[in-house]
Amino acid sequence: MNKLKVPIMGFTEEQETFRNEVRQFIKSEKDTFESQVDSWLSGYSPAFSQKLGEKGWIGMTWPKKYGGKERSSLERYIVIEELLAAGAPIAAHWFADRQTGPLFLKFGTDEQKEFFLPKIAKGRCFFSIGLSEPNAGSDLAAISTRAERTENGWVLNGMKIWTSGAHLSDYMIVLCRTSPKNPDRKHEGLSQLVVDLSSPGVTIRPIKYLTGEEHFNEVFFENVIIPEENIVGQEGNGWRQSMAELAYERSGPERILSTFPLLEELIGTLRENKDFQGMKEAMKLLSQLYSLRHMSIGIAQLLEEGADVNTTAALVKDMGTKFEKNVAEVARLIIASSPSMTSEVRFEKLLAQSILHGPGFTLRGGTTEILRGIVTKGVIAE
Amino acid sequence: MSDMQEIILDSTNKMFKSLCTKELIDRSEEGIFAEELWSVLVESGVTSVGVPESLGGTGGDYNDALHILQLAGKFSVPLPLAETLMVQWLLADHGISPSSEILTLSVNPKNKIELEETPKGYSVQGKAVNVPWARHAKRIVVIANVEGKSKLALLPLDKANIEFNSNLAGEPSDTIHFQSVDVADIFLEEVDVEQFRMKVTNLGGLIKIVMMSGAMEALLELSVLFSKEREQFGRPLHRLQAIQQHIAVLSGETVASVTIANKAILAFGKGVDDHEIAAAKLKVNEAAGKVTEIAHQLHGAIGVTHEHRLNQVTRRLWAWRDEFGNENYWADQLADKVMNSNTESLWEMITDHPVIAKVQLGEGIK
Repeated sequence: MNKLKVPIMGFTEEQETFRNEVRQFIKSEKDTFESQVDSWLSGYSPAFSQKLGEKGWIGMTWPKKYGGKERSSLERYIVIEELLAAGAPIAAHWFADRQTGPLFLKFGTDEQKEFFLPKIAKGRCFFSIGLSEPNAGSDLAAISTRAERTENGWVLNGMKIWTSGAHLSDYMIVLCRTSPKNPDRKHEGLSQLVVDLSSPGVTIRPIKYLTGEEHFNEVFFENVIIPEENIVGQEGNGWRQSMAELAYERSGPERILSTFPLLEELIGTLRENKDFQGMKEAMKLLSQLYSLRHMSIGIAQLLEEGADVNTTAALVKDMGTKFEKNVAEVARLIIASSPSMTSEVRFEKLLAQSILHGPGFTLRGGTTEILRGIVTKGVIAE
Repeated sequence: MSDMQEIILDSTNKMFKSLCTKELIDRSEEGIFAEELWSVLVESGVTSVGVPESLGGTGGDYNDALHILQLAGKFSVPLPLAETLMVQWLLADHGISPSSEILTLSVNPKNKIELEETPKGYSVQGKAVNVPWARHAKRIVVIANVEGKSKLALLPLDKANIEFNSNLAGEPSDTIHFQSVDVADIFLEEVDVEQFRMKVTNLGGLIKIVMMSGAMEALLELSVLFSKEREQFGRPLHRLQAIQQHIAVLSGETVASVTIANKAILAFGKGVDDHEIAAAKLKVNEAAGKVTEIAHQLHGAIGVTHEHRLNQVTRRLWAWRDEFGNENYWADQLADKVMNSNTESLWEMITDHPVIAKVQLGEGIK
């Protein structure tokens, strides 16, 4: 049980004041965007990202010399929470802020840090993450995209799929084989390369999602030449580096709050209608949200302290994403409606978005089944 | 957690671990009171933690006491520790010094207790139902009707008639009959019945939340141990994917319950538990249903036998989730708070940060 203990964190007065500042900013921007479900995937607005960059709220924990603000990860947590709760459009810079920046900071060269980080922090340089392939989803070690070292740099061939926002991003971090696959040690020989998506030989084909929107892509690499220095970290260390990234992305507010705009709308409507019976039903969601949020905040604190959160982060992702889906299921039973992506009724539109985005919640960043395997291994090993 | 608290909890943990055996719990269920363990608790001051030293209590705060109760829940301690502590705290609010006796309380609306003044004191008439540990308690806190006024009364039980009953876990849950019992010199204080019931329900709810979260830790430990030791189809249970799914859900519900219980403890200690207890009891009750089902499924047939420790934990979780408010009651309370919240949005309510005043000991339960 010790490995599962999560500290209870309270925010300080200073942090609460900061939360207010973020909240006021979002309120002042309210007319510039339409609040939506799952806005870290579907709310794409480079203009909004730039405004956040100007505020210093992208890469805000990074060193000042790379354009960061050296603020705490709990302050970053506050910003993310406020943005997601409001359904603000943050997809453009999302992956660069959450994953690519920290990846460069941990494994990148000085040149990479100096070149990429300040641009990311300004909200002017967007990344996608190239992990999945048609034959390598949960079994990521099965990837077959490969890069060969030549005199002109790396030559990349292969294909990635489900890459969020690749059609709108500037770069992609591609996990690929840099030495032949060894069936006994299939996690070895993988490396991460920074690929400029405007390079010759890169073809990006958007995939239509359930909603009819385009967030995901198939990305093809045909003899794409990549400069030698675009490798991130050590050659052959790509698996370990990618896994470290994944642990960071599993317990954040984005695994709990994707459908929060719908919950907010539900409660607001029930309050307006003075529907006490409906409100009672909705309270189960609220009590789950309370417990998940405190777990997630506690883990954010543990991450700041450098503790191993592999097991608890997987737990939060598993439970949080189930909760996100459940919001839609409970909401549709409390208020009878006709969910539709094009409805003029806010509740119906948010409900439609929640239902149609739902299947993705428990897939992306590790499926429920894989995560539960991780949790059990962690608990059993204790 | 302070160093001091860590030391207190560490030693309580050791004490429960060595003294609170399965056999002791079995014997308690057969009606034999765990005298020895109770004496150890009294001597070590555990039965008056949270009562200020100035009043003759052990000192410490609610935070300490509630974490001790979490351990009591974990070890299925078969004693009226929670009830005694609750009474000590309620009375300390009225300036009454702690007692070394076993105490209990009941604010069940079904109770009917009348006090009539006599030349020597009062004559007590009526009954109280579902009273935890009544048969072993020396005195009870109830709401009594004294000539048309509702009063908080501390009544002796030595002359009362006690009808035995027990909850799902085999913990005493008796009916007390007062048949013209003469008492002299008792503590009486006028109270607002609704407010007092609410106060006791909140406090009792919180106590059950922490005890249940402790019980879930025990449940998880038992389940993990069993799935490591038991082999089926040629390998340990935990290697089977279906079992892994169960263990993960069990772990998740347990961590969620412990976390929200700990948050409620903290909020209560600071006097800002407006939504926290309601949300926590709702969540923990709901989780109790899930974890008990999974744990029994995991343990297979051995788990449903009296012989295995598992049932001592699962029966407690089933009993406690209905004590001091089921899910329906707390959903009602929480809905009421959300409906009447002053904040503009749900999100503002969730992140509301009340100014935390420094709370003096004894002021938490108001």
